[in-house]
Amino acid sequence: MKEVSVIDIQKPSMDQLFSAATEDASKAMCRWTNGKITLSLEEVVEVTLEEVSQEMEIGEELLTMVVHCLEGELGGQLILTFDEQNGRQLAASLLGREVGTDSEWSALEQSALCETGNILSGAYMKVLTEAIDAKLVPSAPYFMQDYGASILHQAVAAQAMFSDRVLICRTNFQREGESLKWNVFFVPTEDLLEKIEHTVNASE
Amino acid sequence: MTATLLADRKTIPSAGMSEIIFTTKLDQACCIVGSCIALTLYHSRLGKGALAHIVLPRSVDRTGPPGKFADTAIPYMVDMLAAEGANQAGLVAKICGGASMFGTGGPIKIGVQNAEAVKRLLGELGIPIVGEDLAGPKGRRVVFDSQTGEMAVEIVGQPATTL
Repeated sequence: MKEVSVIDIQKPSMDQLFSAATEDASKAMCRWTNGKITLSLEEVVEVTLEEVSQEMEIGEELLTMVVHCLEGELGGQLILTFDEQNGRQLAASLLGREVGTDSEWSALEQSALCETGNILSGAYMKVLTEAIDAKLVPSAPYFMQDYGASILHQAVAAQAMFSDRVLICRTNFQREGESLKWNVFFVPTEDLLEKIEHTVNASE
Repeated sequence: MTATLLADRKTIPSAGMSEIIFTTKLDQACCIVGSCIALTLYHSRLGKGALAHIVLPRSVDRTGPPGKFADTAIPYMVDMLAAEGANQAGLVAKICGGASMFGTGGPIKIGVQNAEAVKRLLGELGIPIVGEDLAGPKGRRVVFDSQTGEMAVEIVGQPATTL
C-alpha cells in the first residue's frame, strides 16, 4: 500500500482519506501485535444495499466483533470483526497463552480483543478527526458474537435510512503475509458522512 | 459458541437484503436479519407463502426493489400470492428481527421503526400476526418452511425456537 500521511494530503480524495486512517491503524496494530498483524485499504466503494453482502463476501458464518460507538458532535460506529479461529489465535498471542478451546470466550480473551479494537479505532479516528476538523471519540469497546450478515446489515442500515447506496471501505488484514478474514466496518452517521464528503469536495 | 443448525444451509435459498422469496409447497427459504425484518405470509390451506427481508420502514419517494421497504413489500407479497390463488383473507403473518445490535441502536432506532411499520401495515390489511420474535440485541437466522408455515429462529448462543 502506498504511504499516505494525512499531513501530506493537499487534496484528499475519499480513498486517500481512508488510506491515511487505515495506515495509521495498521502501524498501531503492528506495534500492538509485535509486528504480526497489518492492515491496508483495498478500496472505498459505494454499493447498493442489495449488493452489500455479496460485495463484502459475508454470509451466515459466525463472527466475533468489537464494537465502538462514536461519541462527540458526530456519530457513527466502528466495528472490527474476526473469524473465530484467527480471533482466538490473536487473543492467545497477546496473552502469551495457548489458544483457548472452550466454546465460550473467557473474560481475558474478550478483554484482549477489546483492547485491540481500542488501539485500532483510536488510531483510525485520530486521522479522521484531524482531516475533517471534528472530534470523533470512540466509546469503550464491547464484545459481541453474531452472524456475519446480521452484523453487516445492522451496520449499513443507518446509512440506508438516508441513501440508497452505502459506503464500504474494503480492508485487507494480514498476519505475517497471510490474509485474514477480518474486517473493519466504519459506518458514519448522515451528519458525519456529509462532513467527510464536504472535506473531500472542498479540497478538490 | 455455536448455533443450532436447523437444516442443511447449503440447500436452502437465502433472501438477501430487500429480497422476497416465494415458496412452493416443498420449499424452504431462509434469511439472516439484524435490524431488518423477516416477514412470512402464509396461506395454510394452499401451502403457499413468501419470505421477505425488509430493510427499512418507508419508501417515501425512494426507489428500490419492493422487498426493501415495509410499505412496498407487504402489498407486493399480498398481490403476488393472490395471483397464485392465495387470497389475502387466508393469509397469516409471522415476523422476526428488529434488533438493536450496537447498544441503543442509535437515535434512528431502525429496528424499532421497522417492527412498528410492519405491524401497522399488516393491521391495516387485516392480516393476523400469529407469531413474532422482535427486538433485543442479537441477530437472527430464520428458516421458513412452506409445508408447515413454521418459522424457525436461531439466535447465537440460545436454543432455537419455532414460531
